[in-house]
Amino acid sequence: MKKNKSILLSGPYILWMLLFTLIPLGVMGYYALTDPDTGAFTLNNLRDLGLFLPTLGTSVWYSIVSAIICLGLGYPVAYFIAHRSPVTQKILYMLIMLPMCMSFLLRTLAWVGLLETNGIINVLLGKLGMGTVEIIGTSGAVILGMVYNYLPYMILPLYAIIVKIDNRLIEAAEDLGCNGTQVFCRVILPLSMPGILSGITMVFVPAVSTFYISQKLGGAETMLIGDVIEKQFKTSNNPNMGAALSLLLMLMVLVCTGIMNRFGGEDEEGGVVV
Amino acid sequence: MKKTNRILTILIFAFLYLPMLVLVVASFNTGKNLTIFEGFTLDQYKALFQDKDLLALLGNSLLISILSTAIATAFGTFSAVGIHSMKPRLRKTVMSLTNIPMTNPDIVTGISLSLLFVFIGSALLHQKESLNFWTLLIAHITFNLPYVILNVMPKLKQMNPALQDAAMDLGCTPVQSFFKVTLHEIMPGIVSGAIMAFTMSLDDFVISYFVSGNGFLTLPVEIYSYTKKPMQPRVYAMFTLLFLLIFVLMVAMNLLQIRSDRKKLIKQVKPVSSRQKTFRRVCAIACAIAILLGCGWLILSTRQNKVTLNVMNWGQNIADGSDGTLDIIAAFEEKYPDIDVNYTTYDSNESLYAKLAGGGLTVDLIIPSDYMIARLKQENMLLPLNFDNIPNYKYVQEAFKNTAYDPENKYSVPYTWGTVGIIYNAKFVDEADVTGWELLWNEKYKGKILQFDNSRDAFGVAQFLSGISINTTDAEELRQSANKLAEQNPLVRQYVMDQIYSIMEGENAWIAPYYAGDCMMMMDANPDLRFYLPEEQGFNLFIDAMCIPTCSENKDAAEKFINFLCEPEISGANMDYICYGSPIEGARDYMDEYLAESDVIYPDQSILDKGVSYLFLPAETNRLMDNLFMEIRIAGQQPEEEEEASALPVVLTLSGLAAAAALLFLPKRKHK
Repeated sequence: MKKNKSILLSGPYILWMLLFTLIPLGVMGYYALTDPDTGAFTLNNLRDLGLFLPTLGTSVWYSIVSAIICLGLGYPVAYFIAHRSPVTQKILYMLIMLPMCMSFLLRTLAWVGLLETNGIINVLLGKLGMGTVEIIGTSGAVILGMVYNYLPYMILPLYAIIVKIDNRLIEAAEDLGCNGTQVFCRVILPLSMPGILSGITMVFVPAVSTFYISQKLGGAETMLIGDVIEKQFKTSNNPNMGAALSLLLMLMVLVCTGIMNRFGGEDEEGGVVV
Repeated sequence: MKKTNRILTILIFAFLYLPMLVLVVASFNTGKNLTIFEGFTLDQYKALFQDKDLLALLGNSLLISILSTAIATAFGTFSAVGIHSMKPRLRKTVMSLTNIPMTNPDIVTGISLSLLFVFIGSALLHQKESLNFWTLLIAHITFNLPYVILNVMPKLKQMNPALQDAAMDLGCTPVQSFFKVTLHEIMPGIVSGAIMAFTMSLDDFVISYFVSGNGFLTLPVEIYSYTKKPMQPRVYAMFTLLFLLIFVLMVAMNLLQIRSDRKKLIKQVKPVSSRQKTFRRVCAIACAIAILLGCGWLILSTRQNKVTLNVMNWGQNIADGSDGTLDIIAAFEEKYPDIDVNYTTYDSNESLYAKLAGGGLTVDLIIPSDYMIARLKQENMLLPLNFDNIPNYKYVQEAFKNTAYDPENKYSVPYTWGTVGIIYNAKFVDEADVTGWELLWNEKYKGKILQFDNSRDAFGVAQFLSGISINTTDAEELRQSANKLAEQNPLVRQYVMDQIYSIMEGENAWIAPYYAGDCMMMMDANPDLRFYLPEEQGFNLFIDAMCIPTCSENKDAAEKFINFLCEPEISGANMDYICYGSPIEGARDYMDEYLAESDVIYPDQSILDKGVSYLFLPAETNRLMDNLFMEIRIAGQQPEEEEEASALPVVLTLSGLAAAAALLFLPKRKHK
């Protein structure tokens, strides 16, 4: 009796989520299948998606690279934080959180100031007599921007998992004759797998859909799928093509996260550990 | 191993904090440039507190995030209780619904919501302003809800169900047992969910960018348009203050938590006396009322009795009071105290068109260029003006009446006119190379060349170079021009609009085609920059004129503004800042002498005669041009002739859908 009643509490929620998440996706599908000028049914938008597959490929490639770099940099940091005293842990955790609360637009803009041809880094290099580096406008700069922006999204879930690993397991492994590398590969790494997977997802998804980072740090040849979608809506006035592209992006992300979740096994709420 | 970890951690923290340090330092800089520190000053902070717009935007952001967090927290908590009592299978389905906004990229969430709102608002309800405060609030609640649910659910799971039963055995009703027992147990989850929702909402850019109209903007959305223009350093000051505020808040929260953890370790928490309880409740209620009153006041203060005039103009296209110029909007508001100008910007005719055609906005005054006026007129998107309200129209010079885009002078009043030429940096560019538009195709300057980020102007440049009419509708000729642009693509550093200022002034690129007035402003900032007009090959001569779109709700106020801008003295003062030619008789006399005499702004009539105007093009031509331009941008290869219609992407999309569905549902089966 009681259970039945409290189930009713979720009614408005289900209604809300249907109305504002599922139905909008349906509307997006509707736009993707209609012509921008006449509003008639058409498959042209889907056909034209072929043009953008290389761009999608570039976006996926950049985001995979940055997710891997984030993992490489983030894991040692998360491991380091997780093995401090509780108070130090809190402080370091806070310091990782803090940049996430500040405007990423301005922080990325600061990188433009740092990396520009006549930017801070090059001025300093010039003063040291070391010549200049031309990073801005290259794919390297875009990946750097992604790593910079999404590194905390990797560190936090990793830390949350690593800090929970039972020390006795490690001791047991050592007692049973494992050396440091073996302990890491056979105990620590498998146990931190859920953190790794959710970290990769949390870096990959925003990175693959970004348009701001590539606009600011990229050049003429680093157009990403996010840029294309933004342009379809905000300058080309072709929401239908934009909707088709968004649909493609969404499916791609679904497939990628789906594959990851299959590797990662169950864990109902594992997606978001911050 | 440990040592390398320590060093790496320190390096990573340096990496994370370096850009923020740059911004903090910039907030004390006397210069405007991020890279050169000219001297220490606190002026930016003073400017920040005088900048009502920026503070209002911060207020908007706080309002939206507080309201959406409060609603999502309450709503989400109750819903979580409901979901918790579901059978596992149903619960799983609902949770995957909850996960949609979490796993979808923000851009998809934003776009799908904005399409829904525009679809419902414009197509079904025939509302003019379908993107407004309420749609923004709904969007924020929608992406906040999952954070609350995902934080509360685990706490509900951890809770001992016997507790609730015990409370009911002791005589509580289910509702009482919820408030007395359950709520207390799941409180940590609610709090962390609310904090997460609040930070996400306050800092959200992508979703808000697509869902907000021009009536109610949040700080991140407006910062985005700031980052496209030359940055106002006061924004850095705001960043610094926010950084300090968040830092202090975080430290305080951590200290409180550490203290309470210690207390718990030392001894059990003392039972709270009923007096303390009442005190706490009173405090909580007082806080709630204060917050609500604050929000209410904010809402009311943004909606005073004043009439709001929504003006949309190009970036850097009105005198704003900086560098000793007249602040036109402030002067207008002073003259008409009952009108409040809401000023937003766009960076190309095409993006203005997309905003208007996308629907969902209320705009009272726009200043597009000639060809766009013709297009808007053709598509019935402009209202005829009432010239009785614009007596100053008499000052408009004859040359700007009866134009091709508005032959009967019904829809527009000219604002500025100018030319499109090449701006180059004489320090790096050999004068011998400056012979015409081909400078932009010169291999010598690879990577130092900029190009327009809008199809019409970019095509125009290519067409002047190849001797094709800039008003051609011939698909073959358009493809030729596109090929020309594709040829240029590897040399181009970036496709820009308003961002050109910082790039050219900072000497990060050396050559760009741009509008003369803007070039003049850049030349003011960097004396090595020069302007060149390729007279022989031809160049674009444009007029920007003020129009009232059909989505206007304050035509009278808009006409007052038009009239105000036509006063010779005001127009002259305006041109002092924006550096364009004024179509108003006598305005030139009010301009600074060096500007009034400049041949960049007022070239000889013999040269002007060689200028060509953009004319109205049919919709298919515009679409073709947009598509060709997009192809150049994404591929950088020569656009192919007549693509074979291929079913491959369709098949790919559908199979992707099938794969996604399979992946989503298979693990479920594995579970059973």
